[in-house]
Amino acid sequence: MRKILGVLLVVVIASAVAAQHLVAQDDSTTARIERLEQQVRINDRLREIWQDSVATVLKAAPVISASRDGFSIRSADNAFSLRIKGYVHSDGRYFLSDSLKPGTTQFLLRRVRPIFEATVFKIYDVRIMPDFGAGTTVLQDAYIEARFAPGFRVRSGKYKPPVGLERLQSATDIVFAERGLPTNLVPNRDVGFQVAGDLFQGRVSYAAALMNGVPDVSLGDGDNNDDKDLAGRIFFTPFRNSNGNLLQNLGFGVSGTLGNQVGTPTTTGAGLAGYRTAGQATFFAFRNNNALNGTTMADGRITRVSPQANYYAGRFGFMGEYVKTKHRVSLNGVVETIPVEAWQVVGTFGLFGGSPSFRGINPKKAFDPKAGGWGALELAVRYGRLTVGDEAFPVYADSTTSARQASGVGIGLNWYLNRNVKLVTSYEQTRFKAGAATGNREKESVLFSRVQFSF
Amino acid sequence: MPKRSIILTVGLLAAAGSVATAQRAVTLLNVSYDPTRELYQEYNTAFAAYYKQKTGVTVTFQQSHGGSGKQARSVIDGLEADVVTLALAYDIDAIAQNARLLPANWQTRLPDNSSPYTSTIVFLVRKGNPKHIRDWNDLARPGISVITPNPKTSGGARWNFLAAWGYALRQPGGTEARARDLVTRIYQNVPVLDAGARGSTTTFVQRGIGDVLIAWENEALLAVKELGPNKFDIVMPSVSILAEPPVAVVDKNAGRHHTAEVAQEYLRYLYSDAGQDIIARNYYRPRNQAVAARYANIFPRMTLFTIDEVFGGWTKAQPLYFGDGGIFDQIYQGR
Repeated sequence: MRKILGVLLVVVIASAVAAQHLVAQDDSTTARIERLEQQVRINDRLREIWQDSVATVLKAAPVISASRDGFSIRSADNAFSLRIKGYVHSDGRYFLSDSLKPGTTQFLLRRVRPIFEATVFKIYDVRIMPDFGAGTTVLQDAYIEARFAPGFRVRSGKYKPPVGLERLQSATDIVFAERGLPTNLVPNRDVGFQVAGDLFQGRVSYAAALMNGVPDVSLGDGDNNDDKDLAGRIFFTPFRNSNGNLLQNLGFGVSGTLGNQVGTPTTTGAGLAGYRTAGQATFFAFRNNNALNGTTMADGRITRVSPQANYYAGRFGFMGEYVKTKHRVSLNGVVETIPVEAWQVVGTFGLFGGSPSFRGINPKKAFDPKAGGWGALELAVRYGRLTVGDEAFPVYADSTTSARQASGVGIGLNWYLNRNVKLVTSYEQTRFKAGAATGNREKESVLFSRVQFSF
Repeated sequence: MPKRSIILTVGLLAAAGSVATAQRAVTLLNVSYDPTRELYQEYNTAFAAYYKQKTGVTVTFQQSHGGSGKQARSVIDGLEADVVTLALAYDIDAIAQNARLLPANWQTRLPDNSSPYTSTIVFLVRKGNPKHIRDWNDLARPGISVITPNPKTSGGARWNFLAAWGYALRQPGGTEARARDLVTRIYQNVPVLDAGARGSTTTFVQRGIGDVLIAWENEALLAVKELGPNKFDIVMPSVSILAEPPVAVVDKNAGRHHTAEVAQEYLRYLYSDAGQDIIARNYYRPRNQAVAARYANIFPRMTLFTIDEVFGGWTKAQPLYFGDGGIFDQIYQGR
């Protein structure tokens, strides 16, 4: 019996020791698992923090971009950027059945314009655009602009004065290969200061500029007199924020310049410009024999006024402008004020692939027949006229060599392969009153072709 | 050019400027530190309503939150804050000194050294306090895992560091050497250094790492409120530091944005009864004694020391402890 009790006691004690050992073993295992779990969590969290750090670094890194709008590098906060853009116009100009040959049938690089734009400290922009077209180098744009507010931007440098509607349209967006007759009467580029802005959620745009002043259609880099020209424009798009409104893309306004010009006898026109056809042939010029006597010169006040409008709805587009200028001129000490006026209307119709706008057509599908994309096709027509006042003849201009009036009609077909490549074909015919030794200058018929590459 | 043209030009310029000014929208950018998200979310709504009623002007807000030191660096580097509401005065001093966007005496422009609220540093532990953490010296025990952010980037972390250091100095026989030893051993127990206080809260609360979070009192109270009192306990150490987060208008930015007036009013309103009530509701200790009395059950009395009393102010403490090669670098790199 005692043996049995002894064995039982041993078993009980052994069981107790074994149980105690098992509990200790369980505690140790649980603690180890907890420690391992903690270590795994710590490793996961450290990886998470590292990933956040990498994301933060990447977020702060400059962004390099290449897109249809050009190539750019910008700081993460958009405060600093450099953008490289540009466009090339490779043209063909074919004069048809002109016995007098006012121009030469030729292929030419009409425009070769790299564009460099930069922004610093968010609101200060600079734009530099030279033009290497036609084998010459001309600085077209070079200005600094500070965007203090949408309604208040200040610009200084060389740029398009705020006057002609078609002139203010980018050369990449114009409907025909060459701008119309009214552009003869407005400045091209000038140097000065400008205040501009968009008010009332963009419904009203204004610009006021103080510039050197340049002759019609000209660009200048300096001045030959102390008087400065004032240029201004106000343009309304009252329904621009009314989505679905038929008049949403209606715009209208008026612009003008006021200043004084003084000419000196030079081969380039004594402060007065000649006027050109679409084929870039000069059909009107003031008298100029490169001498003080016998050259018509700018001699005082020059004014321009230009009501203008455009409208785009669905497939239709319309643009119209009128320009009237008055030049005070003198010849051999005799002074006269010469009025010149010009107007044009342009209609566009999107045949397929996109809708016309002031910025051209953005094709819904780029040209890629395999993917069913054909780009966009646009049909365009225009009619315009430029009339030189009778006051110019015969004293200040010679009606046997300079036309009193030019009337141009054009039709064009533009194929936008994509946003960057556009093929332009247009036909322009211009008829004249006077301008020849016997009666009217022979009509000009020109066929244009253009391959436009822009980015 | 005729005189008339000059007059016309000047007139046009002036008119254009006037119209542009009249059209300006009032938007304030408040660059703040990590745990103030909830406070300023509620406060901005209240202030916008107050200012609209008072002036008719609609104010909208942009908030930016992050580690206080990082936020100050962002403002110095060009983040156009109209106001800064940071964790410590040194960070605003850095903006004044390095970027000269506000005067050096900015702290005198509002009451209470431009600190409309205070807070302190406490411990958040797992429910039931299984590791029996009662005071700062418990954080240095072997096997205790401590969560605190990086003092190089986080204002809250600097308060944590100095609170521990100050505790050690205030113990019987407390010396700089003993304080350094305690803080060194605490940081030996830190497995993860987040960039900001909110990140450390995430590490402790959501990722389940560590035994104790050294936290802003407001952050600890918010964690308990958001996640329930059955998950965490707050431990008040025997002594801690009085944290005085300051606020200031960034004069040059506000001037450029034409927001100086509304920015000043925005900060002044923090001292109003309504502002102080919002502050207390978001677990920051209000300066207004009447408001503080209403929330006395939330904010127990603690023995607190100020940075001026123990460390001679931020100007001395920052380079000594947190500057490049300073004591924190020596301690942490030597782990």
